[in-house]
Formats: sequence, C-alpha cells, structure tokens
Amino acid sequence: MAYSGLSVLAHAAAGNRHWPSAFPAPDLRPSYDIVIIGGGGHGLATAHYLAANHGITNVAVIEAGWVGGGNTARNTTIVRSDYLLNASFGLKNFALGLWADLSRDLNFNLMYEPRGYVDLAHSDGELEHFTLRANAMRLRGAGAAILTGAALQERVPQLDLTGGKRFPVAGALVQEAGGVVRHDAVAWGLARKASAAGIHIVQNCPATGFVIESGRLAAVETPLGRIACGQALISVAGASGAVAAMAGIELPLQAINVQACVTEPVKPALDVVVNYNAGLSYVSQTAKGEFVLGGATDGYVSHARRGSFARIEDALARAVQILPFLSRLRLMRHWSGTADIPMDGNAIVGRTPVEGLMINAGWGYAGFKATPATGWCLAELLATGRVPVLLAPFALDRFETGAEVDDAGIGPYPWLH
Amino acid sequence: MLVIPCPHCGPRDEGEFDHGGPVRTLPALDGAASAADWQRALHLPAADPGPMRQLWFHRSGCETWVEVTRDPSTHCISAARPAGAAGGGS
Amino acid sequence: MIDRNTVIGFTFDGAAMTGHPGDTLASALLANGRHLVARSLKYHRPRGILSAGLEEPCALVTVTDATGATPNLKATEVPLTEGLAVTSQNNWPRLDRDAGALLQAGGAALAAGFYYKTFMWPRNAWHRTYARHIRRMAGHGQVDPTPDGALYDKRRRHCDLLVIGGGAAGLSAALTAAQSGATAVLIEQDFRLGGALLSSRESVQGLAAAEWAEDAASALGELSNVTVMCRTLAFGQYDHGLIQAVETLSPSSAARAILWTIRARRILLASGAIERPIVFPGNDRPGIMLAGAARLYVRRFAVAPGRRAVVAVADPGERTDTLAALDEAGIETAAVLAPGDTLVGTSGRLHLTGLRWRDASGKRHSTRCDLLCVSAGWTPAAHLAAQTGDGLVFDAGTRSLLPGAGKGALRLVGGARGVLGLADCVADGKAAAHEVMAEMEMHKHLDLPRPDPTPAPEGAFAAGKGKAFVDLQNDVTRADIALAGREGYRHIELTKRYTTLGMGTDQGKTSWTNGILEMAALTGSDPTGIGHTTYRPPYSPVSIGALVGAETGMQMTPVRRTPFHAGFERLGCAFQASGDWLYPRYFPRDGECMAEATARECRAVRGGLGCVDMSTLGKFDIQEADAAEFLSRLYCNDLSGLRPGRVRYALMLREDGYVFDDGIVAQLGEAHYLVTATTARAASVWRHMTKCAAVDWPALDVTLTEVSDHWAAMAIAGPEARKLLLALAPDFDARREAFPFAAVREGTLGGDLPVRVFSVSFSGEVSFEINTPAGYAGELLDRVMEKGAEWQITPYGLEALDVLRIEKGHLSVGTEIDGRRVPGDLGLGRMVSAKKDFIGRALLSRPALQAAGREQFVGLVPEDGMTPIPYGALLCVEALDDTGRAEASGHLTASVQSPTLDHPIALAFLKDGGNRMGEVLWAHSPVAGQSVRVRVTPACAYDPKGERLHG
Repeated sequence: MAYSGLSVLAHAAAGNRHWPSAFPAPDLRPSYDIVIIGGGGHGLATAHYLAANHGITNVAVIEAGWVGGGNTARNTTIVRSDYLLNASFGLKNFALGLWADLSRDLNFNLMYEPRGYVDLAHSDGELEHFTLRANAMRLRGAGAAILTGAALQERVPQLDLTGGKRFPVAGALVQEAGGVVRHDAVAWGLARKASAAGIHIVQNCPATGFVIESGRLAAVETPLGRIACGQALISVAGASGAVAAMAGIELPLQAINVQACVTEPVKPALDVVVNYNAGLSYVSQTAKGEFVLGGATDGYVSHARRGSFARIEDALARAVQILPFLSRLRLMRHWSGTADIPMDGNAIVGRTPVEGLMINAGWGYAGFKATPATGWCLAELLATGRVPVLLAPFALDRFETGAEVDDAGIGPYPWLH
Repeated sequence: MLVIPCPHCGPRDEGEFDHGGPVRTLPALDGAASAADWQRALHLPAADPGPMRQLWFHRSGCETWVEVTRDPSTHCISAARPAGAAGGGS
Repeated sequence: MIDRNTVIGFTFDGAAMTGHPGDTLASALLANGRHLVARSLKYHRPRGILSAGLEEPCALVTVTDATGATPNLKATEVPLTEGLAVTSQNNWPRLDRDAGALLQAGGAALAAGFYYKTFMWPRNAWHRTYARHIRRMAGHGQVDPTPDGALYDKRRRHCDLLVIGGGAAGLSAALTAAQSGATAVLIEQDFRLGGALLSSRESVQGLAAAEWAEDAASALGELSNVTVMCRTLAFGQYDHGLIQAVETLSPSSAARAILWTIRARRILLASGAIERPIVFPGNDRPGIMLAGAARLYVRRFAVAPGRRAVVAVADPGERTDTLAALDEAGIETAAVLAPGDTLVGTSGRLHLTGLRWRDASGKRHSTRCDLLCVSAGWTPAAHLAAQTGDGLVFDAGTRSLLPGAGKGALRLVGGARGVLGLADCVADGKAAAHEVMAEMEMHKHLDLPRPDPTPAPEGAFAAGKGKAFVDLQNDVTRADIALAGREGYRHIELTKRYTTLGMGTDQGKTSWTNGILEMAALTGSDPTGIGHTTYRPPYSPVSIGALVGAETGMQMTPVRRTPFHAGFERLGCAFQASGDWLYPRYFPRDGECMAEATARECRAVRGGLGCVDMSTLGKFDIQEADAAEFLSRLYCNDLSGLRPGRVRYALMLREDGYVFDDGIVAQLGEAHYLVTATTARAASVWRHMTKCAAVDWPALDVTLTEVSDHWAAMAIAGPEARKLLLALAPDFDARREAFPFAAVREGTLGGDLPVRVFSVSFSGEVSFEINTPAGYAGELLDRVMEKGAEWQITPYGLEALDVLRIEKGHLSVGTEIDGRRVPGDLGLGRMVSAKKDFIGRALLSRPALQAAGREQFVGLVPEDGMTPIPYGALLCVEALDDTGRAEASGHLTASVQSPTLDHPIALAFLKDGGNRMGEVLWAHSPVAGQSVRVRVTPACAYDPKGERLHG
C-alpha cells in the first residue's frame, strides 16, 4: 500500500495492525541475474534503479548485517556538489538533482532539506579559490554564491564573525541546493521500493567467496549457499578491500576510521549546514534538534569502528569558533565509521579484471551524497554493459594510466585525505 | 587515543606522532623499475586482515620513524621498532 | 545529608521555591510538591521525576545561572545552589497547559516512523512547510545564543588504579588498593560518595550503611595516595585503557568544568546498576517513580515524594525495604503489588491519581494514589566496558545485559557486573582490588572469592493493553516496537532507528533492557539472540565547553611567529594568519589601504629596495657522504653540476609523479647541503625526507637536521640590494663577480653578525636571502633598516611578495602546485632529468601524465589591455549561453593589477596552453558577474629573460 497521509490515518484507525513489511525477508534463490553485495545506500540504489530504469528485477541484494547498517547509518547526512573537478562535480550534482525528487519516486519521505551548505574560507586566498569553485559550479549549471561580511552574516545570523578568532572568516561559498537527507530513510526507502519491485533483499548474509571460471564471474558464495549470477557488484564500503580480495582483486585504498557526534536535541538554532575549514568541522542541526558534527579522519587503518577522542575534541573546538553557543550544549553520542579511502581520495566505480564483477568502493567519507547517482549509473552499467559518462573517470585502471581524480591534490596517502 | 611504544622514548600518546601509512616496499631507484612495479608497490599495500605494519613519525619526541605492528580490528599493538632498521624497505 | 539550617532559594517557571544544601534540583522540586516538571518530546505528555540519577529520562529542565542558560539538564543531577532559575521545556504557553499536548489526539497516526510515510506532497513541501513545523515541535530546551562566558579546562592524571564509582563496591575497592600502597583515583559522578549506601537501612561491617560510606570517605581522605573526585563523570573508555571524564565544578570555582584524561594501569568499573521501570499502560505519569529513587528521596533527601503510595516492586526484599522507607516518611501505602499482578492503567491529568490492576486470579482492583513505586529489576551500568567493542550478553539469570570477563585494563565490580547486595558489593570491591593489585605485582595474590551476580527476581509484572511507554523520553511505546517488527525493522539497530528507542539524552538507560524484553516477547524469541546496539560514549551527556577547554578564540591552536615579528610590529605591519603562522601581510602607511600599500611595496622592490621575511620556509641541513646521492634521488632535476658555494632551484615530485614542492638546494661544503621547502609543505617535506632516509634507503650515509626554526631569514630585494649587502659589511667578497646569482656565502656582517647569504630571488630582482641564527633576527632587521635607509628600504609583506611572483610567473604551492600537476604542466618539463632515477620518475611516465592536451601554465592579459580580470574565473572559448553556462578549458590561479606593468595580468591553467599563445578567450566569473576577453601569454609577464637578476 502506498504511503500517504491518508494511508497513515487509515492504518491508525485500525491500530496500525496491518502495515506490511517494508522489505520482507525472501527465500534466497540459487541463481539471479545480478547479485549486489552490500545493502547500504549505494547497493540498494543500484537495485532500485535496475528495477525502475531497466526493468531488471531478478536481483538479490545480500547484506552481511542489517540494511543501511554501514556508512549509510553513520554519516552526517550532508548532500552538496561544490566540487571543482568535473568528475566529482558531475556525479554529485546529478545526485543532488535526484535527491530533490527521490522521496516521491520512492514514496518514502527521505526528508531532503535544501537548507543551504555554507563552506567557510579563512583567508582571502582561500576565498579566491572558493570563488573559482563557485564559478565552475555556475558554468556547469549549479547554483553557487560567494558571500562575505554583512551578506554572510545575514544568511547565517548565528555565525560569530567577530574578531579574536584564531582563523577569521573571510567569506563563504554557499550552495543553496545543498543540505541534509535523513540517512536511515534513504536505505529504508530504497529497500522498500526495490523489494516491492521483486528484488530480494537478504540481511545477515555476507559474501564469503566468488566462483570465477576462466576469468568470468560464475557465482557468489554465501553462508546460505552458492548464488549463481551473471553479474555481481561489490558495494561494501569499509569492507571493500576484504571482499575484493576474495575475487583476487587488490584495491588501491585503505580503510580509515572517521568519527562524528551529536549534541542533545534543542529547539531550532541553525538552519544551514556550515563547514569550517581551518582544520575540519562540519555542523548542522537535525530535524530532531541535535547538532551533528564531523571532522577529519583518525588517519590510520582501522576496522574497529572506534577512534580517538581527540578527533571529537578537535571538531568541537573548531565548531565553537564559529558557533560559540555550542559550548553551552552537551555531547550526547559520538560514533565511528570505516571509510575506504583510495590513493587519490576518490571513488573506484566500474569494471574489475574479473568479467561480470563490478566494483563500487572508495567513497571514503563522501559517499552518502552520491548515493542515488551512483546507483543510477551502476544500474546502467549492469543493464547495458556500457560505462556511463559520469562513471568513466572513476575506473579502477586510472591508477595505472595516471588519470587520478584528486580533488584535494593530496596524493597517494589515504590517511591524509 | 592510542599509546604507541616508541622504541626510543617509551609509551607515548598518539598525539605526539604523525601517521605515515602502511610500510610499503618501494622499488630501488636504479632506473630498472617500471611504472607498473611502482604502481603496485605504492598503490596496493598489503590489505591482509590481521596485524599490519605501519609507520609513525614521532614528531613531538625523538623525531624518528617507528614501525608499529597493530591489529586494525582491535587496535592492539604487538610490536614497535625503529623503522627501516631491518627489512623495513628497499 | 541535608542541611536544614541553611535555606537556598530558587525558582521554577518563575515560582519561588526553597531547598537546602545537599538537595538536588529534583529533591528540592519534590519537597516543594512539584512533580510535573517537563513535557515529553513527541506527544508533549506531562512528565515528572522518575529516578534520582543520571538515568533520568523525563525531568529535563533549563537552568539559568550567572553565566547564562543551560538546556536539557536532568533535575536529578543538578546540585541545588542559591539563585538557580529553573524553567521547564518543550511547552507552550505553559507547562500545565501545553498546546502541544493536542498531539496526543493524533494517537496511532503518530506512531513510529509516521513521518517517513507522509509529508511528501507537493514537491518541496517537506522542506518549505512540514520540516519547519516539526523542527519547532522537536528538541527539548532552547539554547542560549549568547557566547558562553564560563571558563573550562583540560587536565591529565595518571595512577595505578582508577576506580569509577563511589558506591559500596567502589569505596571498598579504592580503600583496599590504597591501603596496599597503590596510587588510586576514585571518581564519582554524584556530589556525594556512597551510592546506594545512602538510601539503605542495612548494616555493613557492623555500621549503618550511610555511616560506613562516611567512614570510608573520610578514610580515603586521610590517605595521601588517593585522589577522590566527586561530580566527575567517567564518560568514555577509549583505546589502550584511556578514560575520559568531565568534572563539574561548583559555581564558586573559576572554571565551570574540566575534561580529565586519565590513564591508569588498571581500571575498576564500579558504576553500579540502574533500576528498570515496568512497562504498562499509563506508566509515564508524574508520580510514578522507581522504587530505589523513592527510597533515596526519603532517606537521603528527607523528602516524601507522595502521600498515598502503591508499591509494585519485583524483588521481595526491595519491596519490603520500599514499604519501610514509605513508612519512615509517613506515606500511606494504598496497595502492594507482586509479580504475577497485571498493571492495567493509571489515571490523572498532570499527576497520578489512581492505579488499576488485576491480581493473579484475574480479579480487578483499583485505588487512589499519588505515588507509584515501581521496579522490575536492575540493569548493570556496564556501558564503559562495552564501549571498546566487547559486547554485552543477555543473561537469563539476571535478566540483563552482562559484560564478559573483561580484557585489557578495565574490570567490572559490584552492580556493574550484576552483584546487587551491599555486603556482596563490598566483598566484590575488595576481592577485585586484590586481583588487580596482584596483577600489578603490588600485592600477593589472595584469590578472594568474587560474589556471583544477583539473580533476577522470580516472576514479572504483567501489563494490560494500552499506551505503554518503553522509552519515556522519546515516547516510544510497546506498540511502536511491535509496529517496527511488523514493518520489517526487526534487527535491534533498525528497531532503534525506526522507533528512536534509546536515542534520547538518557541514551536508553531505563529503556534498553525493557526494549529487548519487549522485542523478545513480541517475537517469542530468546532475548539472548536479540543482542544490543553499540554502546557509544559518552555514557551520559557532557559539556561541550569542557571538551573544548581553553582552546577557544585565539587559543584554539598555537600561533607561530617569525623571529622578526616584534620588529615588524614596530614597523606597523599588518599580519595575517596563514596556516600555523602569523605572517607579515603588508606595511600600511598613513591612510593607505592594502592595495595601495601593496602597490607601493612592489614598486619599491622593482625600483629600489625592499625587504621581506622569509623565515617560514622549511630549512633542512643534509650532510655526510651520501648527501648528494640522497638529494639526487629526492629531486627530479639534475643536481650533479652543483658545487660548494652554489645554489640550484629544485623540484620535488611525489612517488606518483606529481609535483610535490619546490625549493632550493644550496651546497655549503663537500658533503653539506641546505635545502628549503615552501612554508605550506615544510612539515610534509620534512616527513618525506626523513622517511626516505630512514625507511626506504637506510643504506645511504646521510644525516638530516631540521633547522627551520634555527634560522631567521630576510630577503633584501631590488636593484639596490647588492649595495645594501655591501653596506652591511660582509666579511666575504659580495661583489657581483665574486657572488653571482644562485650562490651561497657564509660569514658575518659587520664582523659580528653571523649569516648565510643566498643570492636567490622570488621577486625577479637582485635579491639576497640573509639567514641569521634566530636570536640575531632583531639585530639583522635593525641593521637592514638602518643601512637600507639610504635607498629608502621598504619592508614588504606577503601581498607584495605574491604580486611580484605573479609578475614573474613563479609558482606558488596551493595555487599552481596543487597536487595535480606534473613538471610539464608547469612549464618545467625540461628540468626533469633523463640521466638519473629519482622519486616519481617511473610513475611520471604513465600515459595520462604524458598525454598531449593537458592543462598547462600560462599567463593572461586583458584583450583591451586595461579591464581587470576577475579572480577565480574560468577560461572558456565561448561566451555564456542563455542559461549562464559555458564549457571551461582552464581556470585562473591568480589575478592582479601589476603595479610594474600598470595593467592587469593573470596566471592560469589552460588545456594545451603551451600551443595557444596569443589566442583570445573568455574569462568568466559568474559570481562576480563579469566576463572579460583575455589573451594567452607566457606565464612570465615581466623580464622574461631574467636579466634583472644579475645586477
């Protein structure tokens, strides 16, 4: 039954006893056209668009844990497309367009709020670079503005732009279409829609191996049995290295811990997403009222999903520089995710040396915002065998050819990205 | 906050160190190594599960590189020695 | 424990109230007859005080003191102090008549996750309309927007044994360890030691429990090897046994709170247990209280939390004790319920007025009451043990999540491992302390027996049908949990997220175990299989002010100042924060703006003489036999022709072939070099060099020394620079023939000022970079200004430095050296040596890095020769189309009005730029609303042949 205000009332009248399962647990079949490994946002979006755009529904999404339980559950929910490089901008701006209508497409309220993304520059030189980025966005059809002084203060009245700060604010790049999306809902909405289309979503089912015959993928091994398939997609974020290794594929990336935190919920006090750039701290307020903050990675490889408290202290100190009232609030919870960060800091999406096996990895801590676009493009790749233009720059072989896509220009040191 | 047992300074807080990534065995600079050799050595550090060898630079201490063997699943450190002292690289 | 001789005044929603020292806000409110103190998050239901500790889910209030307002404080953990202004939250217009309560009429339509199912039409309505309203309804208190004037601090502590929790087990453990000679720290989140001892009528070792607590506290106070910290919350356990705690100080202290970083050889977690409420219809009304809390209010705070009570306590002993406590307070007992009884419902609008239940035989009962003391059992507060990834396991015996044996430094003791009786806790604390003392080899191993966890009471209360709250803060009902299961959100993490169970400021302390039991009951499964969500710090919310400490304002990170800073300050310098540094930006004279000052400074350098601070460059001293080989591997250009006394510009690549940094290599002696790195890359180049030397090429005989801070560096630049150098009286031959461009000399100025002088130039003019040991910086500056006066020496800053280098087309890290360029892109392809191997050679040969058509470094001038080129513009062949778009084939990296050439110039990257000289393009800056026609030129706009260097 479609979700709507009416259906909510109708079900409520019946004591909510008749709501169907959003993603019923299916019986796993021995064979599918396509097996998607990883039931996070990206994997589920791929499944959804396989069904919605290409009518392909003989698909299984297998998830080692619970739906949306990886980085989809752990990010700071920010969506934006303020990138200089064409490759990064292209995919993320396409995603931004999809986010705007995805709630209605999925019939699931993902709570996309284009509240505005405000990226602070701390010197005139930095502001000049932000201007370049804003211009690049504008020429490619995205909205962006550079605000300084009174205009910035008017746009974000809460910002403390007074003096006495270690790194004063010189201005900001503002992308009004940027904002937040309720992260869990993305996984659930995609899973529900894909499930309704007949795609099987199987939780607690890790991939444990691949059957590869003459360089071609034949099947995926799981504890529930071998699943024969024509194609498979690895879309497992922090576990990318380990899962790809089962197919004999080495990935140029490292899994690094990244942390985020929330304060206690309070009444609305900030209606934009703010990014502080002298050191890293990004701040927004959730619909429930919590301030959610993130910072830089812990740097070192970790699969423990916990990190050093110093990172949280650092992100808070930087946020308090621009939003001093935060120091009156209390930290309620902090957590970690495992970010798979490639040697150029950008994603690895597309074919692998194993025919029929696709990879979607290396999103680091920037994957959430790209969710629908990545799914859309991967579905096209799986359905047509052609690499969509937007995905081409993210090919695995770019490290061999020297076509890295390094937004930050940091180089093959994932712990610094 | 990790405690890294610096072989020169004793157990020290992670904040005193800069992380230097995994130990990578880079080809010798004798003109013989190809781009492919370098690409593999640089971009594909071992991703085996279990303890891995990593470099840490003791910035606020002895200013030397330390090779630390740490399990990324538990963060347990099983060994630390001066980097490059033996078998640390080419 | 309450000082009735002193009266403390405070207000609640404006009404004046009184209490006494020793009260918490909660006990004082109860003493003033105030039970209704809050409205719930979602349904705005009236809520009272459920507990007496940090587990409180309901009684959240805003407390205003001299420093401002703090929202969401739990009334149960705020010590009462004079003059507190307490206000209730999340209600309008007022607490007892809250319009938001109309939401309750929404009933089942507002069940878990309803907002995912609606508010989707029309497009953007969620953002424009619904979210705005929902956001206003959500949240608890209001944040005080004024800056926080309170002071905070961070400190560290080390000890042999850290005991977390000052109840029976913790006191016993701390005493045992301290008396054996260990340095011990005992921290307690309450402002008084004792925990459950304070509300017990049991005797411990022959003393009344509260007396034993007092004795133990004073004994600890006598011991010099023990530190006791009250009002200190250990909120997280991190890797390698690190404990983070926040100490909240009294209002009379200078600071409000301190973040403690504590490292101990062993940690005993004695954080006790948290009582579990009963889930039944109407279980959220003010007046319904945990039985242990009721006992505490009566016995510790001397408050009667009601007049006529019903007791529904699962454990028989606790039931009896609760009845005794009620009796002590003169509270009438209306009824006593036991496991097997079914709680059917409650009545009362803003406060409990009655209870309905059925007994085991099915007979219906009801009674009037204004207090209901409930207890379903206890949940160990083992959160800190679970935070490092060791899961808790549901234990059938205690019906609670219990930790395993514990690895690493932290061990559990007492209530935190399910041991509930006071005598058992005292014994457990002692035994555990002996165990860890033996582990630390500070005591022989006595192997004292550890008491077993206390089994859960037999049987449980049943509940009737109706709105029964599992999570009182987030208004999560039993029906919500059932709905989540029905809709497929069965994994406990999904249930949590879909219903928001346990996601409030109490982080589910009173609701998690009940939630698991509800899920188990709904699915008929074993609670053991349900697991639990990840325990994350902080255990209870902690002040962000404390976590930031003193790292606010200018103190957020340290400021680096160059050795010339004080001198430049006297010269009227305007400084700029640039990375770690505070760097001289420009030197304004009367009434000048930055652009005017910068232009004047540039003209002075081009036409006469200027001086600029170069101290922030990285400087590395390289010595020993293989130094030359080391540098040859490190830099991509050929250094083989370098001789002592000469200097060469050098380019460093990353391993992957991209340009990393540039600088100079100066040969000081046979096997002695000084190399520089850019300010921005100084630290990373140093790491790179040391890593190469120590890790990759240990066989090379080379010694590296970081000497950046050792030397102050000042460049004197301009046509008169050599005259000034000579006037400074060097003790080496500084004439042009003897000291040409790209050379280095060591000696003294005036016979007493030790210097190294490099004839290198970033400005394109004759220039000498004079390095002197940092302590001589003031002297050097004085002499340069004094002797330079003859040529009107002009100090210049970062801005002029940048303009001068843009005129020359020199590279800057961050703008041109942006991590994505190979030497050929920067016009430096010819520097790359084909005669040697070096870092980056192999991967630089990759096809995409050698392909034709890559972006290349070029210069730009306006086609009309005068229109300023907007900075941050993109280079396009086409004009903007109707939609304001255009395809870019390059972008600007810098744009200035050249004071020397007196027209605008710019630097840019342009696809295939080297082959497009003279082409006219658009420079579009939609942000500035400008599009300018520009002509492509070589990057160097001034003195392309470099003739001026050799003056």
